[in-house]
Amino acid sequence: MGRRRRRGGRGHAVGALPEAIAALSQTLPAGPSPEIFRRAKFDRPEAAPALWRLLFRVLSPPAAAGTRASPALGAQVRLVKSALCSQGYPRRVLARLPEDGSQGSRELLLALAWLLARGPLLEHLLAQTRVWLGDEIPLWQYEALASPGPPAPCQEADGPVDIRHLQWLMGTLRFRWRDLITSQQELCALLGKLLQRLESENTRLEAALQWRRRELVFWQWMDTVLGSCPLQTSPATFLPRDPASGPGELELVARELRGLHGELQGAVEPRRAAWEAKAGGWGPEWSAAQQATQEAVGRDLAALQRAWEQGGAPAQPHRPCRLVKRDARAVEGPGLRAAELTGALRIRESRLETALGQLQTRCRQELARLAGAEPGLIWILPPGR
Amino acid sequence: MSVVTVQLGQCGNQIGFEVFDALYTDSHCPQGLCSKRENEAYQASCKERFFSEEENGVPIARAILVDMEPKVTSQTLSKAAQSGRWKYGQHSCFCQKQGSGNNWAYGYSVDGPRHEESIMNLIQKEVEKCDSLSGFFIIMSMAGGTGSGLGAFVTQNLQDQYSNSLKMNHIIWPYRTGEVIVQNYNSILTLSHLYRSSDALLVHENDALHKICAKLMNIKQISFSDINQVLAHQLGSVFQPTYSVEGSCHYRRNPLGDLMENLVPHPEFKMLGIRNIPQMSENSLAYSTFTWAGLLKYLRQMLISNSKMEEGKDWHCSATLSLFPTATRATMNTEVQRSTLLAKVVIRRNRFNHSDCLGGFKDQALYTSWLKPINAFNVWKTQRAFRKYEKSAALVSNSQFLLKPLDTIVGKAWNMFASK
Repeated sequence: MGRRRRRGGRGHAVGALPEAIAALSQTLPAGPSPEIFRRAKFDRPEAAPALWRLLFRVLSPPAAAGTRASPALGAQVRLVKSALCSQGYPRRVLARLPEDGSQGSRELLLALAWLLARGPLLEHLLAQTRVWLGDEIPLWQYEALASPGPPAPCQEADGPVDIRHLQWLMGTLRFRWRDLITSQQELCALLGKLLQRLESENTRLEAALQWRRRELVFWQWMDTVLGSCPLQTSPATFLPRDPASGPGELELVARELRGLHGELQGAVEPRRAAWEAKAGGWGPEWSAAQQATQEAVGRDLAALQRAWEQGGAPAQPHRPCRLVKRDARAVEGPGLRAAELTGALRIRESRLETALGQLQTRCRQELARLAGAEPGLIWILPPGR
Repeated sequence: MSVVTVQLGQCGNQIGFEVFDALYTDSHCPQGLCSKRENEAYQASCKERFFSEEENGVPIARAILVDMEPKVTSQTLSKAAQSGRWKYGQHSCFCQKQGSGNNWAYGYSVDGPRHEESIMNLIQKEVEKCDSLSGFFIIMSMAGGTGSGLGAFVTQNLQDQYSNSLKMNHIIWPYRTGEVIVQNYNSILTLSHLYRSSDALLVHENDALHKICAKLMNIKQISFSDINQVLAHQLGSVFQPTYSVEGSCHYRRNPLGDLMENLVPHPEFKMLGIRNIPQMSENSLAYSTFTWAGLLKYLRQMLISNSKMEEGKDWHCSATLSLFPTATRATMNTEVQRSTLLAKVVIRRNRFNHSDCLGGFKDQALYTSWLKPINAFNVWKTQRAFRKYEKSAALVSNSQFLLKPLDTIVGKAWNMFASK
């Protein structure tokens, strides 16, 4: 059994430990109760499955953990082991734990503490499961901003307007009104759902803050857990194989690779020479044509680049940005203003459209020339969109 | 946005089953002929509209089944559950022991008020399951007692309780030589009541569907199940997702709303008909190929000649029909000009390139004088194919196609009444 803790000197800290662990488990997704943590310190087997599941949830990619039904405990155990190994977890005892997930709760606790200590694990997990409010758009999706809606059918009021037409229009208006009401109701329902999720996220964030305040107690306790483990024989770094036999095999592999490389080189060279001999039969005309096309492409690219830069586009990082409604008179803060952006994008769009038109005419002319040049040639066009 | 379906009476329930089955098979059809992402978006859109999700993954149709006798509803429920692919909700069924005896008044004045609370409760529960409600789709027949009488009552109640939601009634026009003696009375009473409380009446005529089964699908012994399947195919091709704006890649969110806004804004002209092309049995589908030009030509021909199936006739001669104005009469508030259209929506499925083929539909001669083709004609498209048909098109039109059948029914009803 573990050493008995001296309760006298740390009276106030004793109460803080359960609170710290409770805050930790509330912050973690699928966090087990503090009782599980306590039992894990004493390596009780009943605590093991919960800790395996916790580690699985923490280590697996978010998509896999979220939507599909979680795999069996054995699969979770294997995944946790391989994930910890790939992250460089030093204790080999964990890799030897049975796959039915029934033992090793203390080891799992140590693994969890190791993960927590290594990097910003909690922040990472919280960011993964945050609630998306839907007020962000990526900068390059300007279609929604710039495109006008469908053109309203315009009727010139020439002559007497047929009352049936008016009734028709009134009816359309009424239907749109009802559609609007239904959309509003849907909006309210979705806002309600969003509020609920935000509330639960708030509780988690508050728990995370509490944890940060009481972390120290937890780490002191983890020291005692580590101390209560039986000593390991060789705390060497975790390697899949004994490094002593390494050099010989590596040398073998390296030699094989070098031999393979040489063979490939030998096979490639004559083929390349043969191809060049065939292609080079066109001689100087070919290289001249190549050069000419390269120059033409270079010029076109330069022109395109100039046109792009002349659009005066502000330096836009291509990542999602939040839409913030601001008072029109407010001082310009960081970030771009929507009006400027739409203007700039429209200018760029028109420039690109003209460039596209020019390129298309040139292509067409080229195709016509080629089609005219070879009378026996049949052109099969791809199916249009 | 979701659509809640109310299946009324024997006819309504049988058709409702076929419709949901068609929607489900289409959305899970492996030959979508489009990218995987597109397919998933299509499936998700279809599912949101017509099915809700349960824990074990089997979609549940957003539908209520109502009938005054238990036989058909229990058959429908078990058929759906047996297929294993989708099913009806456990508590979405309302039935009684005794039928309505083809009596409209019994359905409307007795059964309706008596069971009003239970039925509206069921509907309320179904509505609460939806994130957002697009409207109601009520399937009923005009000739029977439950579908027609109770249907009229339920639609009226929906009008009172959900005044902002849209209601589309799907009506089965009975055979001209139908079996129910009082079908003409029932039809007239139903139509007059529905005209006040419903937003749109989508009509399918039994005679037309029967002809399609006989001539195009080559079915020898035509049962109601065959007719219902043809019907479901047509409805499916109208209600499945389509792109919302010209050129965009997002699916429409409000199918009922958009359909109604384009077709029935005028409060006096609410009757819609559907035509679908191509229509053939699945066996011959494998041996046929189509071009858009050909399909749309046939569709236009069907429209002009007021038929519901491609007749293979020479279509030139019928084009002149629309140019002959006949004497004006006023019947049921419609203006008369032979086969004139008020509005239509063409829904095209898969890979349409040339908008020139649609030029024939924009002819002003097809439409009434006070509406221009640009306002009256709309095209909806989608990349994804519908149910193994590489190209298919459906046409929903608001026109005078029902004028003659309606006159016949009214005439017969008066005759019956006068002969008492």
